[in-house]
Amino acid sequence: MNASAAAASVVSCWSCKGPVAGRALFCSVCGAVQGPGAVDHFTRLGLAPGFDIDLGQLERQYFGFQRRLHPDRFAGKSPREKALSQQQATALNEAYETLKDPLKRAAYLLAHRGRPVDLTACGTINDPELLMEQMEKREAIAEAESLDDITRLSAEADAEVLACQCHISAAFNAGDLDAAGHLTLRLKYLAKLAEDARSRKARIARAR
Amino acid sequence: MSYSDKVIDHYENPRNVGSFGKDDKSVGTGLVGAPACGDVMKLQIKVSPEGIIEDAKFKTFGCGSAIASSSLVTEWVKGKTLDEAAQIKNTDIAQELALPPVKIHCSVLAEDAIKAAVADYKKKTEPGDAAAE
Repeated sequence: MNASAAAASVVSCWSCKGPVAGRALFCSVCGAVQGPGAVDHFTRLGLAPGFDIDLGQLERQYFGFQRRLHPDRFAGKSPREKALSQQQATALNEAYETLKDPLKRAAYLLAHRGRPVDLTACGTINDPELLMEQMEKREAIAEAESLDDITRLSAEADAEVLACQCHISAAFNAGDLDAAGHLTLRLKYLAKLAEDARSRKARIARAR
Repeated sequence: MSYSDKVIDHYENPRNVGSFGKDDKSVGTGLVGAPACGDVMKLQIKVSPEGIIEDAKFKTFGCGSAIASSSLVTEWVKGKTLDEAAQIKNTDIAQELALPPVKIHCSVLAEDAIKAAVADYKKKTEPGDAAAE
């Protein structure tokens, strides 16, 4: 599916007018740098779309591409090629930043599959169970005084983040986008909780 | 982005922080969250038998604007009837605190919280529903 989608998006090279793949950095005919094509973040980085990605492969692809776009390589090129290489670098950067973060990756994948969850809009959520749980845990973190207590709470919060990521993976693999959406919202709260616990822990550790 | 003086004042000296017992029959509790920030806000009202809000408390885990919005609402609702309180608009909160556009959702959160608290109180005191809790 991935290969055919990528093959389907063939455009003309701006320089030699030859055919070039939508995700290609350079024209295979004339070698000119291409602007970022209209492809999804996974395709841009040469990965199969899905929640479970090989982070090592993501790093290798990203840094490999960025090396080929390094400004030093374009010092003697035309202004157009300089500009295109920068646009490519920006697009790759955005794709990388989105995919390496499990929360952003889940939200992006949901939107990609046509079931967006809104993690940025004004709306409020009505999920009493999640909110009650989060309120209690945030209170426990705020009230923790000893390093032992906050270390335990922080470890619990980190473990919950990982567990939630496993559930998100399972939901995507089962094609259950409703569950994936719900869990992604939960992950947003858990990430906040874990961050809160970490900063409280740092404060308590400093005060000792 | 800089916070207005009013936001800073409410953030540094939040009014009415705390909790009432949520099983108290004269207490209405609103619990809401905004996924944009991962915020949680609890707003509670204590209502007289005549239906006047006598006291209000809040507990918010969130940014300065969310804390200020809920703090301001607890001040505003005291002495109001339930219906008056439920009519508080996020735009009034945002205007009073001079919230920047990116923080408007914090005032939406506070509006939803007071509405939820009023609804919770009304549900508790509905005739014939005395057995609930």
